[in-house]
Amino acid sequence: MSEIKKIIKGCLAGNRRDQELLYRRHASKLYAVCLQYSGNDEEARDILQEGFIKIFENLDHYKHEGSFEGWMRRITVNTALEKFRCRHNLYRVDDIDTIQEPDAEPDNQDYAGLEADDLLGIIRELPTKYRMVFNLYAIEGYSHKEISKMVNISEGTSKSNLSRARVILQRRVGSYIGIKKKVANE
Amino acid sequence: MNEKGANIDLLFRNGLKDFEVLPPPGVWDGIHSSIKTKSRPIILLRIAAVVTVLLALSFLTYRWSRGLSVGPSGPVIAFNVPVSLPVISSPGDNLQYLPTKKYNQLNNSSDILIETDDQAPIQKEIETTAYPEQIVNIKDSKSLSIAKYETIAGLFLTPLNESKRNSIKIKYPELQYFPENITVKPEKRWSIAAMASPTYYSSFNSGSDALSKQLSAADQPLMSYSGGVAFSYKISKRFSIQSGLYYSSLGQKIDGINSFSGFQQYANTKGDHNFEVLTTNGTVYTNNPDVFLSTDGTNRIVTAYTKDVFDPNKASLQPVNSSLDQNFSYLELPVILKYKIVDKTIGINLIGGLSYNLLVNNSVYTTIDGSKYSVGDTKGLNPLTLSSSLGMGMEYNLSGKLSLNLEPTFRYYLNPFSITTGSFIHPYSFGIFSGVSYKF
Repeated sequence: MSEIKKIIKGCLAGNRRDQELLYRRHASKLYAVCLQYSGNDEEARDILQEGFIKIFENLDHYKHEGSFEGWMRRITVNTALEKFRCRHNLYRVDDIDTIQEPDAEPDNQDYAGLEADDLLGIIRELPTKYRMVFNLYAIEGYSHKEISKMVNISEGTSKSNLSRARVILQRRVGSYIGIKKKVANE
Repeated sequence: MNEKGANIDLLFRNGLKDFEVLPPPGVWDGIHSSIKTKSRPIILLRIAAVVTVLLALSFLTYRWSRGLSVGPSGPVIAFNVPVSLPVISSPGDNLQYLPTKKYNQLNNSSDILIETDDQAPIQKEIETTAYPEQIVNIKDSKSLSIAKYETIAGLFLTPLNESKRNSIKIKYPELQYFPENITVKPEKRWSIAAMASPTYYSSFNSGSDALSKQLSAADQPLMSYSGGVAFSYKISKRFSIQSGLYYSSLGQKIDGINSFSGFQQYANTKGDHNFEVLTTNGTVYTNNPDVFLSTDGTNRIVTAYTKDVFDPNKASLQPVNSSLDQNFSYLELPVILKYKIVDKTIGINLIGGLSYNLLVNNSVYTTIDGSKYSVGDTKGLNPLTLSSSLGMGMEYNLSGKLSLNLEPTFRYYLNPFSITTGSFIHPYSFGIFSGVSYKF
């Protein structure tokens, strides 16, 4: 029996040590996902906590088919989406009609200076709806049809949100790289 | 735009792939407490089941004891002791009368009420066909003397023939009747005892894996103690049932764990968790930031620092001890059955039963120059354990009420202390309880 199977078995038996082991092994990766989907640390912490509670509660539904980490990630993303749907009306989506597409996208070489921390910071600055759609499409690989059901928007809105998210991200990546270069030159 | 979009997508997808961020401390506590809260109803159900069993036992004991002392229910006059009493015959009739002064009157005339259709003082015959030897002398209309009873316990009086004029209607109460020349001392069935014992604690380990063998090899029993108050009820001449409330403190020494003090000044080199030490009874978590733990050649400290990361000797930490003491305190609720093998001045009892043990405290410490240095506590302990006990009790009767007791008792824990241990570790203890009991 693989180690993860043993840990899952222990968790299902209520073994606290195995539960904690499971948490310690995967919490860091899942917390990064939570940060990606949330606007602030407190919300990310809530998503992580609620997500793990759901993972433990639904562990008996995991069929040992496919990646366990992927299964946990899906639960975490769904928890983030639930939170988003609950607070949907509280968020204000910036009117970005005035946002112009940048003249030139930085080439791939320019990306080299960007760390994961930087990318996370940039993605978290996106308006919530755009962040959700961008994450689901670009990172998780869902289609617009799937996203429209998950976020409760039309496919067209999903496409438009993605497009606008990309515009914002390109602009911010560009300015971020510019700032970094400037700092480096100084 | 699509190509540009794909580029920016790839940038974020690849950049954030395998990205990890340590979650803030305290998240696990929130998760764990939530999982625990959901499992609490099972514990409550267990407690409810225990209470139900205890109540049922108490009720059965009560019913049994009543059954032994009263006998059959219903309209019964019970005679506990067979007696043979003189009978006076009156010429001219076939009735027999007993001289009232020689026989017991019922002390309370209200115990038996006789109603007659007329008020004339009479002596009536109670039907004797069913019980020909049973004669009753009626002294007056308000009292009744029982006359002759050659007899057996639980003699029934039958209602009189309703067709007879001046017949007697008797309301039959439940009562006990003792002839006055026989004194019956009520037996002392209850007793209360205060008992205490030093306890030797250890455990059976049936785990076959290397880790559980390694863990149990380093465990050394610590001398522990147990004491409390016990109530006992004598069900019959030889059997008695006992319960009570005991407090017991058990523990073990874990060898091979070196502890140092003075680590607090290096706290910034640590992560967000303290040391975790695997033991046969749960995992020790340090909550004293000043303590540093290390071990030689074993991997029982899950969060140990390698010497290249932190060397306590180079950092001039103060060595405290090379072992940890693990302590568990339990409140125990036993249900014990005693069988008296020898019933003399020195009585000998066989003792066996079960006990529910509620964990009330646990601590881990180490000692330096005789003083305790707190290290932390043990996580993953069973809040409720069940133990069985078997023993031999000796009772020396100092007087009718007071006796000295000595009870060597072996106790085996049916479930392990820890719910996290992977192997099958069942603790046991042996103690010689001594104390004084008082019968009432």
